Amino acid sequence: MTLLRLISFQYVRKHKLRWLLTLAGIVLGVAVFVGMHTANQSVLRAFHQTIDRIAGATQLQVSAGEAGFPEEALEIVQNSPDVRIAVPVIEASVNPGRGNLLLLGVDMTGDRSLRDYDLENNNDDAIDDPLVFLAQPDSLLVTRIFANAYGLKIGDKLPMSTMAGPRDFVVRGIMQSGGLASAFGGNLAVMDIYAAQKMLGRGRRFDRIDIAVREGVRVEQAQERLRKLLGGGYLVESPGARGQQFESTAQIYSLVSSITSMFALFVGMFLIYNTFEIAVSQRRSEIGILRALGATRRQIRTLFLGESVVAGLVGSLLGIGFGLLLARGIAAYVGAMLSEVYGVAQNVEDVAAEPWLLAAAITVGTLTSVLAALIPARDASRVDPVKALQKGKLQLIGQGENMRRRIGAIALFALAVGCMSMSHIRPLFYLGYLLAVMSAVLFAPTACNWVTRTLRPFLKWLRPVEGALAADSLIESPRRTSGTVTALMLSLALVIALGGIARSSYKSIQDWLVIALNPDLFVTTNETLTSRSFVFPPEIGEGIATIAGVDLVQMVRTVRINVRNTPVMLVCTDIASVARKAHLPPREGNPDTLYNEVAQGKGVIVSDNFALLRKFKLGDVLELPAPDGTLRMPILGIVTDYSDQQGSILMDRKVYIEHWKDTAVNVFRVYLDKPSFEPAVRARIQEMYGGRTRLFVFTNQDLRAYILKLTDQWFGLTYVQIAVAVLVAILGIVNTLTVSISDRKRELGVLQAVGGLRSQIRGTIWMEALAIGFTGLVLGFVVGAIQLYYTLEISRTDVAGLRLDYQYPVNIALVLVPVILGAAWISALGPAESAVRGSLVEALEYE
Amino acid sequence: MIQLQQVSKRFDGKRVVTALDAVDLSIAKGEMVSLVGASGSGKSTMLNLIGGLDTPSSGQITIDGERLSGLADDDLTRVRRDKIGFIFQFFNLLPTLTCIENVALPLHLRGWTRKKAEARSRELLDLVKLGHRMDHQPDELSGGERQRVAIARALSINPPILLGDEPTGNLDSGTGAEILNLIHDVHRTMGSTILIVTHDRGVAESCQRTVRLKDGRIIGDERRSSAA
Repeated sequence: MTLLRLISFQYVRKHKLRWLLTLAGIVLGVAVFVGMHTANQSVLRAFHQTIDRIAGATQLQVSAGEAGFPEEALEIVQNSPDVRIAVPVIEASVNPGRGNLLLLGVDMTGDRSLRDYDLENNNDDAIDDPLVFLAQPDSLLVTRIFANAYGLKIGDKLPMSTMAGPRDFVVRGIMQSGGLASAFGGNLAVMDIYAAQKMLGRGRRFDRIDIAVREGVRVEQAQERLRKLLGGGYLVESPGARGQQFESTAQIYSLVSSITSMFALFVGMFLIYNTFEIAVSQRRSEIGILRALGATRRQIRTLFLGESVVAGLVGSLLGIGFGLLLARGIAAYVGAMLSEVYGVAQNVEDVAAEPWLLAAAITVGTLTSVLAALIPARDASRVDPVKALQKGKLQLIGQGENMRRRIGAIALFALAVGCMSMSHIRPLFYLGYLLAVMSAVLFAPTACNWVTRTLRPFLKWLRPVEGALAADSLIESPRRTSGTVTALMLSLALVIALGGIARSSYKSIQDWLVIALNPDLFVTTNETLTSRSFVFPPEIGEGIATIAGVDLVQMVRTVRINVRNTPVMLVCTDIASVARKAHLPPREGNPDTLYNEVAQGKGVIVSDNFALLRKFKLGDVLELPAPDGTLRMPILGIVTDYSDQQGSILMDRKVYIEHWKDTAVNVFRVYLDKPSFEPAVRARIQEMYGGRTRLFVFTNQDLRAYILKLTDQWFGLTYVQIAVAVLVAILGIVNTLTVSISDRKRELGVLQAVGGLRSQIRGTIWMEALAIGFTGLVLGFVVGAIQLYYTLEISRTDVAGLRLDYQYPVNIALVLVPVILGAAWISALGPAESAVRGSLVEALEYE
Repeated sequence: MIQLQQVSKRFDGKRVVTALDAVDLSIAKGEMVSLVGASGSGKSTMLNLIGGLDTPSSGQITIDGERLSGLADDDLTRVRRDKIGFIFQFFNLLPTLTCIENVALPLHLRGWTRKKAEARSRELLDLVKLGHRMDHQPDELSGGERQRVAIARALSINPPILLGDEPTGNLDSGTGAEILNLIHDVHRTMGSTILIVTHDRGVAESCQRTVRLKDGRIIGDERRSSAA
């Protein structure tokens, strides 16, 4: 402790900038870790809160997937002797103009026993007589938050687009803040359930039934009896169980964020390692003196490890602060993305980390720092007091150490290749991945040296003095440089991998769009194609089919159902017409008979990602929960389909209607006789239905652009990664150059003494930075190629179930070159200025 | 060639240290002068000021007719580059460059072509009898050889003034004598103006003139008719 105070504290005080940069390594890692996990937790918590607040006194909920169920089920539940209250509910997310609003359709006659509406100014008259509320189907209860946002007061009208055309709803009551009114961030409105059915086009169907059981009946007992009563097609669960579905939906994002944050910490570890290696190198004379004065090796090692603990703690605390700030942005992004892709309603109002996460962040940050300092601390303890005063020696990596590293790298790589050949055993596959990364890390200093040596003649040709000195500075100081280059290499490798996945996905999705999504027009109920709150009656499709120039109208119903506890997309349409129009060759299954058999209701077709992720194969029988019981259908074919990340099941519409008793339609896919009819048919559809119902017509081009935009959102992470890579480049290079300038003080002084202009000194520092950036790019591109292979494998087998071709993201690599070299140059500006501003006399006397 | 008028140098710290105190000195073209004095007498400070490595607190320095005071950093560098060659006690060769690259360094900095700089460097390394060591790096040379390379580098731009800061201070006596002879040869053949800071009486006495400093002031200026 005394040594820490006397020696380390003084050193830190003298090298504030360098220590800030070291801390930045930890701050970066911890901030990403805390930011991403806090965002995930906050989104999940927001979803759970919305469920809890809406549930009120509900003890059990009956549902049958997204398609809902016929009204008859309500009667069955209400007649159960275990049930005290059973009220129907429709819940949908709509957008009245300024963001999403959670619309709750309830039956006021029974609902107030479950939910407390707590209206302002004792205006409970509005719903005291449910018959009055019912008699006015345009009635709306809104929250105080929503009323303020829209400037509404009681009696005001709120126009909304409905399936029965544009309608004005009248605010009949304002709910006080808190409780139910704070669900979905306060963006909540309540209307009568029959008005909601009409507004959303749901026919005579409900989304769920909220239940309170009779006194003296155990909830589990009631649950079991209701399950038997309703059959396998219905889910009877506690309100909290709904959260599990969301968690499963958010799982992919959670995995990606875990990988990203772990990666950020790994990169941060190299930044810290680099700084400690440099510190040991720079403080060797101090270490020598301490050793000469009687300090033991252990004391020296403890001194450096102690410093790493302090740095880890301070960095972690700062990282937590930045992470919480970061979480706000990420939570909004994740929430928006999940709402967009899955139509899952939640609204993040409170971004806060849980105590265990903060404790984990401090532990992980400090451990990372200590781990990073282990080797430098060992090196420090081995400093020979006699050699300690010999300048420069510690920057070199000895031949023996170099050889050990190379042999280690080759051995690990050989093992990784061995594991790759047995990649069907997943633990071995992941072990191979880890070994490949470790091999790259061990080989990095050697590769760095090779690249810089190759670069030297070119730099020397470019600028004989500045270029040669820049390259020599890197070649002669592998310890100073290799940590930064390794961090940059790893960071860029991940960018390449993500970019590669994005590129392969783009290409695959584009190919699929051309083959599978070939209708000329798409008629939907929403401007966002993924929202399924509103539905069409089939009659509109029949009407569209009569328009001149229309060849065929496919009615498509898409609903999410639970298969093996995972929400997957059930896509129901006229399969015979799909076979005629889409020409989609199956990956597995008999192409001659497949579509015909599915059209006859003999089975279903599943998407490739569904089969891969859920481990289904051709011929397996799926158990699908339908309102009339569990439907068992064999898999007759497997096709490439990117409609849903969790996978999709393609079923004939007749089979769906028969078992779900649901004739609603989400999308009409319209084929025209000639593409040139498109504007006329589009105009005619708008003319026939535009004023009467809620309807949007998209061209094939619009739809493709929309889907590619969604794909873009998923790969938005690539840009975050590029930002992290740039940060790593800047932090690492500034650190390395700061030390390089300090080490080369005399050399730069001599250069100035013999006639080097300031611009020439700047030039050599800039070239050194560019050389580091270039070396990082070269190594990052090579390791990125390996990382891409592993990422594609993980994506295929464990995350998305997508079979993507290996395509190196040349475009991303080309973008990275100027970005990283630019970042390197910017990093060099400060250090270069400090190099030319110092005293020449001091520089020449420097020892 | 070198003129100092009332030149003072003060270092401001917790207490002000006056390293040079209103010094006047004039060195004619082609003179070879030694600068002696105890440690802290101000001789290195004076050399640094004449070499444009540092700037005086007051007074005027003129080098080959050019006043140094008020010059911007790059202009000061140009004066150094065109008029002054340095020989340091610790050689100050760049360890990663070969002998020929070290000698060519000032030429490249002046923008000479690769070919021309290399030809000139070879010529100079031959002159200092290191033609066989051109592609060696400094750590492969003896101390004397390193100083020869440093002298070749100092001569590369053919400067009218050579400044030596203890050029033999880090060498054994035999090698020191060799280096001193080389400097005298340069003086004779090239007619350079040479100023050497030294502790070594032999080196000092080998020069035509010896200036003695004490506490930042000149306390003696001795001229010899037959030096070395």
